Amino acid sequence: MSNKLLLAASVAAIITASPAFAADDADLNALRNEIAAMKQAYESKIELLESKVQTLENRQDQTAGKVAAIQPSAGKAIPATSQKRINDNSFNPEVGVILQGKYQNFSEGESEIAGFAIGEEGERGKEGLALDETELNFSANVDDKFRGSATIALHEHEGETEVEVEEAYVETTALPYGLQAKAGRFFSELGYLNSHHGHADDFADRPLTNRVFLDNNYGDDGIQISAVLPTDMYSEIGGGIYRGDDFPGGEASGNDIGAWTAYGRIGGDIGDQTSWRLGLSTLQAEGVERAAAEDEVIFNGDSNLYIADARMVYAPTGNNAEQELIFQGEYFLRDEDGAYDDTGAGTGSVAYDDSQSGWYAQSVYKFLPQWRAGARYSQLYAGGVPAGLTGSALDDEGHDPWSASAMLDWTNSEFSRARLQYNREELAAGHEDNQFIVQYVMSLGAHGAHAY
Amino acid sequence: MRKLLYLMAVMGVLVTAAPSSAFAKVNIFACEPEWAALAHEIGGDLVDVTSATNARQDVHHIRAKPSLLAAMRKADIVLCTGASLEIGWLPILLKKAGSPDVQPETMGWIMASDYVEKLEVMQKADRSMGHVHPEGNPHIQLDPANIQIVADVLADRLFMVDRDNAQNYSRNLNVFTKKWLAAMARWEGDKAVLRGEKVVVYHKSWAYLLKWLGMVDVASLEPKPGIPPTASHLEAVLVAIDGQDVRAIIMAPFENEDAAKWLSDKSGIPVVQLPFTVGGNDNADDLISVFDETLRLLKGAS
Repeated sequence: MSNKLLLAASVAAIITASPAFAADDADLNALRNEIAAMKQAYESKIELLESKVQTLENRQDQTAGKVAAIQPSAGKAIPATSQKRINDNSFNPEVGVILQGKYQNFSEGESEIAGFAIGEEGERGKEGLALDETELNFSANVDDKFRGSATIALHEHEGETEVEVEEAYVETTALPYGLQAKAGRFFSELGYLNSHHGHADDFADRPLTNRVFLDNNYGDDGIQISAVLPTDMYSEIGGGIYRGDDFPGGEASGNDIGAWTAYGRIGGDIGDQTSWRLGLSTLQAEGVERAAAEDEVIFNGDSNLYIADARMVYAPTGNNAEQELIFQGEYFLRDEDGAYDDTGAGTGSVAYDDSQSGWYAQSVYKFLPQWRAGARYSQLYAGGVPAGLTGSALDDEGHDPWSASAMLDWTNSEFSRARLQYNREELAAGHEDNQFIVQYVMSLGAHGAHAY
Repeated sequence: MRKLLYLMAVMGVLVTAAPSSAFAKVNIFACEPEWAALAHEIGGDLVDVTSATNARQDVHHIRAKPSLLAAMRKADIVLCTGASLEIGWLPILLKKAGSPDVQPETMGWIMASDYVEKLEVMQKADRSMGHVHPEGNPHIQLDPANIQIVADVLADRLFMVDRDNAQNYSRNLNVFTKKWLAAMARWEGDKAVLRGEKVVVYHKSWAYLLKWLGMVDVASLEPKPGIPPTASHLEAVLVAIDGQDVRAIIMAPFENEDAAKWLSDKSGIPVVQLPFTVGGNDNADDLISVFDETLRLLKGAS
């Protein structure tokens, strides 16, 4: 037995060492020849470089007068990056301001959504002329491995100007293996729209689904990690743990993790003209005294949300600058197990274990470089109502809320956009609403690149 | 059973001992087709090249789409133009999927415009001036001298990233340089007749070409860089070029023809669509033919 072991070991040793054994005279000669060839190659390279330098010098002599006024020559030598680059991040930090304003006209006074108790941010905006959220953004590379960003939003709510730390996070910029980590307060990767700021949206308001299930954006305090996988086709997985303070969580306390998320995505191209992305994600939150519907409806219990999202972008010859057609949709399913209390309707705490769902689909067509038109439809399904909640905000009275929108916008440059939108919706039985919205979105200063 | 174990042990040793770098190609993520073509020239069979864009796309307006994230995930070298040309999408890709070896100021990160003498460097820039690049005009690929400079930079980086094959890269660089200098000498003769000729451009993307050819642009169809042509601006251009001997209205494959055609109809000046980069027309399938085609089309116009 030990012979066999010895044999195996020696075979292994010979095989691993074989390159050294194989280096006999013939190989040595080959190596010598190679080195000679290399030397020759370098010599001829130097010769060529010299002649090239000469060519360049001649060129520069010819145009020396004109060139001198612009910049000292830096082309010949090839050191590490020698010239000063001036871009957004030489201003430290980058500062950006988003200015938004709206005029809204509604034909219906009531804006409750049948069967749902929605958070403050998800409510329909003010009628008439009004300043929309003003966002201040500060961001910068902290150093070679981290980047930080803070977005402070100023908005009016019931006559008061509210200051909100919308996002304040640090993220890694140079992790290996396609990894990225983010910590602080930020909009989680959930479905498509959630991680985007409203000013980048294609419509003046969020679809019903995002208003109802995520209070426009789920942005909580926590840590998120993502990994782009080393596959030929794009695939990414990620997830996070959060305090659980933001809707659909609420009033987290103690040292528990109040909410967590997970997502997976794939995507790719179809030819040069079309790109696509599909995703699945979940947000598992615990509502503790979660107040909604102007603080009248209180929920305690588990609130688990599942989202499927899809997006496809088509541009003739892949040139998005001229024309582009975007399809986008998300499906939401929310499972809630706990107790609702509609204090407005005086229901008392009523056990609730049911699911609610909804979806939206939209398409935006850029028909000229500066003009886009779009259409969107959203639909909600409230689910069953326990007897104790009949007549409360959670009673949909047999109506499934829906909203249909059409928009036209004009983009003068990547920094300014004006939009006209019409919504027709029936959010509660018999309450049909015709809405006209005129909106502008402008950005000053640094303007970060937008994700896909 | 034991034999099987021994066999596995031997194979294990073999697999671990195999130099993995001998099989793995260097992945080059090139932002534009001209740099992808150059990467093929210098890297040859030793590199896998992804071109993030094609000649029919306006590189200012690219989405950080999923396929680009997947390509960036594997990149060993990122070869782009820089000077903010890719600012709308490259930073996202780098942050999300780029390895530590391709981050800014590292070995695998090459911004071509850092190594050449840039034109139109702005002392002062304001957004009311349109989409300007304060660090200078980024469309550097249309001066053949710049291509050679970037070829040298790329070869130097390949030497360092993939030392085992340094000699091959050196050989490829030599072959390319010989070919390129010969072509440049040939173009010197070809371009003489174009010196001093006037053109109308669509966007300020031709500064390097025009400087190399000694040509002059008398007007842009865009009222301001990045702002699409307007009727009133085109009227003004028509007035401005009246009486001037303009050889051509030149545009890139990704630019809208309507404005150029309108001006051409009114003024009788021909519209010439130049390749702009590799793949910009059917004949421009490598770097040399981009310049051959550009000269042929410009000389053919009048």
